[in-house]
Amino acid sequence: MVLTGTVLLNECQKRLIIMWSYRFNLVLETFMIGFLFVGISFFVTGGRPTPEQMAPALLGYLTWFYATFAISDMSQGIREEVQTGTLEQMYMSPLPSGLLLAGRSVASLVVSTSMVVFIGAFLILALGIRIPVRLTGVPVFALTLVGLYGFAFFMGGATLVFKQVSALGNLLTNMLLFLNGSFLTVERMPDWLERFARSLPSTQGIDVLRRVVLDDLSLTSVWRDGSLMWLTVHTAVFLVAGWGVFLWGERVARRRGMLGQY
Amino acid sequence: MKAAIEIESLSKTFRTRGGNEIEAVSQLDLTVDTGQVFGFLGSNGAGKTTTIKMACGLVQPTTGTVRLNGFDVQRQRGQAMRQIGAVLEGTRNVYWRMNAWQNLLYFGRIKGISSSRILKARAEQLLRELDLWERRKDPVGEFSRGMQQKVAIAAALIADPPIVLLDEPTLGLDVQASRTVQQWIVQLAKEQGKTVVLTTHQLDMAENLCDKVAIMSHGRLLAHRPIGELLDLFRREFYQVRLRGAAAAEKTGILPGFAASQENGHTVFSGEISDDLSVFDLVERARTAGMDLISVSPSEPNLEEIFVELIERAEETTGQDSGLEQGAGNRPAGTEIRG
Repeated sequence: MVLTGTVLLNECQKRLIIMWSYRFNLVLETFMIGFLFVGISFFVTGGRPTPEQMAPALLGYLTWFYATFAISDMSQGIREEVQTGTLEQMYMSPLPSGLLLAGRSVASLVVSTSMVVFIGAFLILALGIRIPVRLTGVPVFALTLVGLYGFAFFMGGATLVFKQVSALGNLLTNMLLFLNGSFLTVERMPDWLERFARSLPSTQGIDVLRRVVLDDLSLTSVWRDGSLMWLTVHTAVFLVAGWGVFLWGERVARRRGMLGQY
Repeated sequence: MKAAIEIESLSKTFRTRGGNEIEAVSQLDLTVDTGQVFGFLGSNGAGKTTTIKMACGLVQPTTGTVRLNGFDVQRQRGQAMRQIGAVLEGTRNVYWRMNAWQNLLYFGRIKGISSSRILKARAEQLLRELDLWERRKDPVGEFSRGMQQKVAIAAALIADPPIVLLDEPTLGLDVQASRTVQQWIVQLAKEQGKTVVLTTHQLDMAENLCDKVAIMSHGRLLAHRPIGELLDLFRREFYQVRLRGAAAAEKTGILPGFAASQENGHTVFSGEISDDLSVFDLVERARTAGMDLISVSPSEPNLEEIFVELIERAEETTGQDSGLEQGAGNRPAGTEIRG
């Protein structure tokens, strides 16, 4: 338990130190993320966004930001560590690689949350958006994040084997922005696109989150209508598949000697 | 003496994208004793780094085992990893965005040190020993190459592992920084009793530092013995015949197999005595040719010359059993290169 705590804190500390060293870029990125939200909101509402319209969009957008961060951390981040040799040093640890991966995920979550809080607060205050704080949203949000990290593990495992996967990661995160229902409701998409969009990580989570947080539905009612159950299944599939792909990637990388080669 | 590293029948075959198989390491057997400085020598692509990485658990062997202080790297990974610290070639090994102090604390925890007090004391000790204490709060990215390498070495040693693997530890360092690293390697082995395995292309450094060397080519072991024995073995075969003045061109062929060179106005023939020639024959031939003989002496081949010869012999016999480990036929009876 102490060891787990030490590893999690260690990874968080490292991540925050490195993030702080890029503080100038971080500030610019934060503003860019904020302005992107405003820009897209203007675009999809024909130039007349209202706080009521922007509230569900903001929930989806901030969830998308988590997705961006998690995917980037697991694909681009791992690729960079392969190049610098720090990944090899991590793999020379006597600790289980699963624990280190968990530490890495928690660190990524802490850093992205700090940014989300800042961006969210800025947008809420600047645009007068009202998002009620409801505890029922916490388990739904947690499930959504676990599913997202499952997908990120998938990308991380693939990055260990296919070094160019991080480019695919960029494509996927951009695709998620428009297909996870943040700005464009999935119900209005053509059937085939809706089915595809719903299979993506975070789409189902955003949908349930909105209904629980903004429409004030209880967890029981979203479970009864099947949406929460579907989210749970979705999350479990992403987590198990992502973890499996990561372990596969590790094994292949060790066999091919690719943990420190680019 | 107890073996710190035991490598048995270790092989690694990589498959290329075209489907071809490349045998990077082939049936390697060797041991490194505790407290030794062991040199892994070989040309690029000889299989040194692959071997080091298999010892670090970073590359899975196709066959064979590596044991670190008795712990199998594949089967007892956690315990085996507690035995080693490594600095690998061609990469940073540490985070350049973090300072030296932060790097050491980070890697210490990664290596399983949970006591903050022990970790900080060890980090301070290492940074002071390496003259980095005053600059411990500067980002490593702002350091010189030599200082960065010192931080990488300190990070590898943070958990005080009994075995240290250094892949090209002085590559790209200036003379001063290289000397500091070399002094530290000696100190690690002689004063702290650590086993140090290093790969290097700087053979003079290997000759000065190593107790024992392994020379590899194309994934195969050509030689594996204490450095003194290896030098002795070759010392017996090589002679230098020194003659006064520049020998005429037609006379340079009187000693077959010997290379002639000019040195301080003298002619020096260097080479290996073949089976049908003795030292007395050499002297006789020189005298008969009317040459003014100054001296005949066994030459002192250095590790570089031995290395070049072994590699050349291996190149000539690529694809076959090079036979070098069995003495190569022309080696004096009873001599083998495996120690």
